[in-house]
Amino acid sequence: MAGYILRRIVSTIAVMAMVGIFVFLLLRLAPGDPAAMIAGRSATAQMIAGIRDQLGLNDPMPVQFIRWVRDMLSGDFGTSIFARRPVLDLISQRLEPTVSLSILTMMLSVSVGVSFGIVAAWRTGGPVDRLLTAFSALGYSVPVFVIGYFLIYFFAIRMHWLPVQGYVPIASGLVPWFMHLILPTLALGLGFSAFIARVTRASMLEVLSEDYVRTAAAKGASSYSILFHHALKNAGVPILTVIGISFAYLIGGVVLTETVFNIPGIGRLVVDAINNRDYPIIQSVLILTSGLYVLINLAVDLAYTLIDPRIRY
Amino acid sequence: MAAGTALSFPSMLRAQTSPEDARTVRMAKEDLRIFDPVASTANITQEHGLAIYDTLFALDSKLTPQPQMIGKWGVSDDKKTYTFELRDGLGWHDGGFVTAADCVASIRRWGQVDAGGQLILARAKDISKKDDKTFTIALKEPLGLLPDILASASGQFLFIMREQDANRPATEQVTANIGSGPFRFNAALAKPGSSVTYDRNEKYVPRKEAPSAYAGGKIAKVDRVIWNNIADQQTAFAALQAGEIDFFQVPADLYPAVESDPNLDLQVVNKSGNVAFVRMNCLQKPFDNIKARQAILNLIDQEAMLRAMYGDPKYIRTVTSMFGNDTPASNDENTAWFKKGGDPEKAKQLFKEAGYAGEKVVILQPTDWASVSNGCQVLASALRNIGVNAELAPSDWGGVATRRSNKGPVEDGGWSMFLSDWPEFAMGDPISNVLLAANGEKAWYGWPKNDEYEALRAKWANVATSEERKALARKMQRIWWDFAGFVLIGQSVGPIAHRKTLTGLLDTPGGYLAMWNMQKASA
Amino acid sequence: MALLIVLALAAPLYAGDPGNIDPFKRLQPPSAEMWFGSDNLGRDVFARTIFGARISLMVGLLSAACAAVVGLLIGVIAGYSRGFDNVVMRIMDGLMSIPTILLAIALISLTGPGIGILIVAIAIPETPAVARLVRSVVLGVRERPYVEAALCGGARLPKVLWRHILPSTVPALMVQSATVCASAILTEAGLSFLGVGVPPEIPSWGNMIASSRLYLAIAPMTIFAPGICLAVTVLAVNLLGDGLRDLFDPRAKRRR
Repeated sequence: MAGYILRRIVSTIAVMAMVGIFVFLLLRLAPGDPAAMIAGRSATAQMIAGIRDQLGLNDPMPVQFIRWVRDMLSGDFGTSIFARRPVLDLISQRLEPTVSLSILTMMLSVSVGVSFGIVAAWRTGGPVDRLLTAFSALGYSVPVFVIGYFLIYFFAIRMHWLPVQGYVPIASGLVPWFMHLILPTLALGLGFSAFIARVTRASMLEVLSEDYVRTAAAKGASSYSILFHHALKNAGVPILTVIGISFAYLIGGVVLTETVFNIPGIGRLVVDAINNRDYPIIQSVLILTSGLYVLINLAVDLAYTLIDPRIRY
Repeated sequence: MAAGTALSFPSMLRAQTSPEDARTVRMAKEDLRIFDPVASTANITQEHGLAIYDTLFALDSKLTPQPQMIGKWGVSDDKKTYTFELRDGLGWHDGGFVTAADCVASIRRWGQVDAGGQLILARAKDISKKDDKTFTIALKEPLGLLPDILASASGQFLFIMREQDANRPATEQVTANIGSGPFRFNAALAKPGSSVTYDRNEKYVPRKEAPSAYAGGKIAKVDRVIWNNIADQQTAFAALQAGEIDFFQVPADLYPAVESDPNLDLQVVNKSGNVAFVRMNCLQKPFDNIKARQAILNLIDQEAMLRAMYGDPKYIRTVTSMFGNDTPASNDENTAWFKKGGDPEKAKQLFKEAGYAGEKVVILQPTDWASVSNGCQVLASALRNIGVNAELAPSDWGGVATRRSNKGPVEDGGWSMFLSDWPEFAMGDPISNVLLAANGEKAWYGWPKNDEYEALRAKWANVATSEERKALARKMQRIWWDFAGFVLIGQSVGPIAHRKTLTGLLDTPGGYLAMWNMQKASA
Repeated sequence: MALLIVLALAAPLYAGDPGNIDPFKRLQPPSAEMWFGSDNLGRDVFARTIFGARISLMVGLLSAACAAVVGLLIGVIAGYSRGFDNVVMRIMDGLMSIPTILLAIALISLTGPGIGILIVAIAIPETPAVARLVRSVVLGVRERPYVEAALCGGARLPKVLWRHILPSTVPALMVQSATVCASAILTEAGLSFLGVGVPPEIPSWGNMIASSRLYLAIAPMTIFAPGICLAVTVLAVNLLGDGLRDLFDPRAKRRR
């Protein structure tokens, strides 16, 4: 087990190094220039050239790359070209909203998705199954921002129940924090729970048709015991896998949701940084998210052993 | 149950909207990326400067320069030496006093980037402090426009910064955000990319005069102003409707929605608005040929372009003078090219005379700037209709900004045309406005060159009377429209939308937001 | 689904010019001349919706095809050769760990918006999932007696791959491709919303919805027409995927 974890960690570092090189090259090859963004629309070419020089952007690419790697290794993620603040400060400022939104969405999606999926699989073709089909059709086929607009229009403008936009830190009160996150969570969670529900349904169906489940049923086991003792346990592995993999998709949805609901999270930070060509921020965030992704999947793999003791590493 | 929830939700919300809200103004503003008004020409950065810094002179609503930080000033009999004395009560947000040394350093730093400032530095023999409150500018030859240039709002404002900040190179950003203006920057609450907060500067001593545009007494009447960067316009508007923000520069297509909301008002705070224009690359085919540029002058259907870019016909106007519609220099010299609906036949003819042989015409299209992006599409379609091989090059604004500095042919990543806009009132200022220069490769992107015109432009700072200046403007315009250094699309005056509870917003030339004088009635 | 493709291909036969700009006729309500009214540049929303179908379907299908072909190649090779497997799958892990939308935005900033780069940008992050899937199928099949028998019988490796292994990956591949296709259409819409989708001049459902989002109240058809088409198409593609799964999975059939 320990050897396995060690091997995984080594490969994690390899993955992150690769992502790093890839992202660095990608950014430097893209046209666009932070100096031009700093100087503004009506700036002259001389002014922009001066700023470029000041920022060290005229140095040869290998020099910039080595400087960056050296800083990264010593734990220095760099300074934002625009905000003139350490990138890690900026990221930590934006972390709370994104983490809050992701966790709430995960909680909503897993609870709603898994329970819907189980019931739908249990009574295939029944009302819940039909509802699930309709629900996943909606969640699957309507872009997140359209759902967001409708939620805002109905709950915030028409009914005045919830705020339109913004984020309140959890430290300023649990209630306002939660109120500001309800709509974004719903918008993001709809598609996501549909996704999880479908995966759950499919894996449950698969397991329910296995011989041992049929045997249990024939022996007169209660449907509760069949669903939870036999089926869900075995269906758990694919469900968990999907949750791990879909982390990257969730971040994608977070970017859109943060834009629609004006939540100052990591997603907006990166999108703005890409538009501004604020290289240090883009590099750091992408490296950190990919590291996180790999870690989450490691955690998922380890969780397999808890759910299904037959799996050993 | 449902009814119970419906009732309890609003009361929960009200619990968090406390009395301090009545003294706090929330605005949807674009992202304040750069804090240093010398390092960046961006409007939002200049507005940040207006909040926290003060200026020596300031334009009033009649575009006359008025002393702001200056108390007494005078000029020597030979008109070559100006002496300025700071008024009393000027203090930095960090507690120190504003001195003449701060002013001298600030003028020198600003003079490296602003076109008007460059002229002053070029003409000055010496800029130095006499004592703590007095400094002089000694000139090689008289410059009657000196106070106008110090007050100018058509390039970058001359904001006075602390000497230690102003001693940095102009290209290195100042990060201290310490000024002597009516608002203080709240560094603790600053969330770059998301929101910035300004607090009233209790120690600010305003002038006695009534406020008029950027001049007069700057009295901050609210305790706090928060600028929220709301990336999505639909969301920003929803927030305005719900009362979560008080102020929003609303896009034209939402004007009817604002008008139909009893809590909201549209207000024009920038009566002169902006002028949109097309810049052509005068160094490369086909626009290295004057005839091809004249073709564009004749081709453009200003009304159609304006409608596509700004929507509502109430707030748009065609423009024929290179100096804009309402500046002192505006005139009707050599404007026969203007025709309602444009003149595609004439344009086709001119392209033919220019020897146009189907070369690719690349139009830079910033997809993240909706109005200009729309204008590009209309222009491309008009060009194709007369047989020009027009191609849109879509990218984000960052991509446009980089590509437009490429002077090469389109095959080597160059460009042929791009669209942008400029404050209308600044069109009357050929000194500070880089758009009105035609000194070839030294000129702004597009690099038009005409020595005869440049000779006339050089006289601008020296003419004494407004009549002479008007005559000079006519001469300049006659030549300008012959070589077509740019082509105008028209003027747009975009009102802003605000909650009715927000009052006292000042009308400012150029439309830079002045946050003093506004106040908020408790709802 | 087939109907949609036919409608999209036949667009020039019956729909007007989607690029015809008339700023004096902006945001008009539906009329006999323009069935769905006009958009913010006075263009025919009906024509743009129909032509948009071509672009959106093209983006969806080509992204799926790219991801499928590249993923298949990588997956088969990785499934077959141990040494290659480790390296390639780590690269796939790396790609998978960068959020789809962020990778797409970064890639598009390379060249500026365009359909080609858009398809590549959507396909790249989808490829690892396909590769993993194919690899797992190949790993499973490789040990089957008939494959071993074929190899022992002196058949050459490429022939075995082609004859025995590839066919077994087809069902999973098709199901996966349908999913990729549907999500590609949605991703394009999301990217348009962020301003980096299909260039504004070319109509796609995504950029039509995104550029019309301010007109929901004044000219609802500008957003509903492409929106409903998008929803129906994505749904159709997803159902197609489900159908394929049922078709290829005998166990699912047995339960019916």
